[in-house]
Amino acid sequence: MIGHEQYESIAALDAIGAATPAEANSLVAHLPSCPDCRRARDEYGEAASMIGRDLDPVAPPPQLRDRIFAAVENDNVVDARDRFNSSRWWMAAAVVFLALWGWRELSIRVTREKIHSSEAEIRRLTGQNQILSARNEKLSAEMASLASRDTRTIALTGQQVSPSASAKVFLEPQQRRAVVFFYNLPANAADKSYQLWILRGDQPKPQSAGVFDVTQSGAASISIENLPLATEIKGLAVTLEPKGGVAQPTNTNFFVAGST
Amino acid sequence: MIAAMDTSFEPSSLLPAVAHGDMAAFEQLYDRHSSTLYALLLRILANADDAQEVLQETFVKAWTNAKMFDSVRGSDVAWLISIARSRGIDRLRSRKIRGDREDEAGRELSGSFGFIEKRTGADDAIQAEERSAVRSALAELPEAQRVALALAYFEGLSQSEIAERLGEPLGTIKTRMQLGMKKLRERLKAFR
Repeated sequence: MIGHEQYESIAALDAIGAATPAEANSLVAHLPSCPDCRRARDEYGEAASMIGRDLDPVAPPPQLRDRIFAAVENDNVVDARDRFNSSRWWMAAAVVFLALWGWRELSIRVTREKIHSSEAEIRRLTGQNQILSARNEKLSAEMASLASRDTRTIALTGQQVSPSASAKVFLEPQQRRAVVFFYNLPANAADKSYQLWILRGDQPKPQSAGVFDVTQSGAASISIENLPLATEIKGLAVTLEPKGGVAQPTNTNFFVAGST
Repeated sequence: MIAAMDTSFEPSSLLPAVAHGDMAAFEQLYDRHSSTLYALLLRILANADDAQEVLQETFVKAWTNAKMFDSVRGSDVAWLISIARSRGIDRLRSRKIRGDREDEAGRELSGSFGFIEKRTGADDAIQAEERSAVRSALAELPEAQRVALALAYFEGLSQSEIAERLGEPLGTIKTRMQLGMKKLRERLKAFR
């Protein structure tokens, strides 16, 4: 077990570089836990410097002074360069951060646009679906009218303004509904609509059964719900009226007409 | 009046200012201690070119490592001397490894630590006083102790190398060096 005195003796030798490696290592291990020996180490270090100070001073050459200060200045330049490089690093980091932030913002914007686009597409498809559902419902009704055992067929013939035109009415009295198919009607103008009228036996004025348009093909069809009782229907006729139809016919130029 | 004077070895420490990049303090540090360090390096290396190179290394290291200096542990000059001596001994050893033993045989083994010509330039009063006190302290050491310390300090010899060089038992050499250092430490305390 080494005591303080021995450590101090080692410190004395160590101050002039004469401690053995083993002694120097044991001293280094001991010093952190011993303030007295640390103080002894420092004092022996100062004492050792006295040996160096015993020599008469010798002035180094003046040019050595210049060399040393030039070397230190270079070291300052290197330090400054390090600081510059450090600032460049921060600038690069800032640029990368801004780029990432910009990329993130762009991604968010693109994603939002995609969401808006998808929502518009959903609205469009929903609209189409509603249209198709309506068409499907109409076709189903037409099919039901056509397929029913009680369905009656009424032929409407072309009149003076369109002699080649014709129409077939499939009337389902029980359900008070009908489907009418038109053929060879002239295409109506954009500001006009064809209007189907029901001529009733119980009323003096005709009753509108709906409006429809005819394209260049000359064909069209219309479904009618809530018809009067079959016994009250005297006939059917079609006039050309202002777009969207009117409450009562504005003319008696029938395109097709027929009686039940 | 003299009795009332500050007998402390060292003027105020410059290294804390150097640590903050104070070039004026560094110049003052150089002017104050370069001659002492150069003399030491000439004593160790016996070669002016080597001594100048190591002196440059010493001051550049002092500039870059000044933050590591702790004024509680010692003086500016002691710190600088420890750097210069350590580097000087390293240079000496590397030279020996290269086989360049030029004047080893001619090294003086007298009890005098100094053998360099005296500086002709003017010393400041503090350094002159300090050197006088150091010389006085060293002069009080027995010749055998001074020789052992000189071989260790200036030539970087180990205990066994000194024992071999002087033809003395290892234990004797070790005791001489420890006693010599103990006396120097006590004298240093008395100065302060």
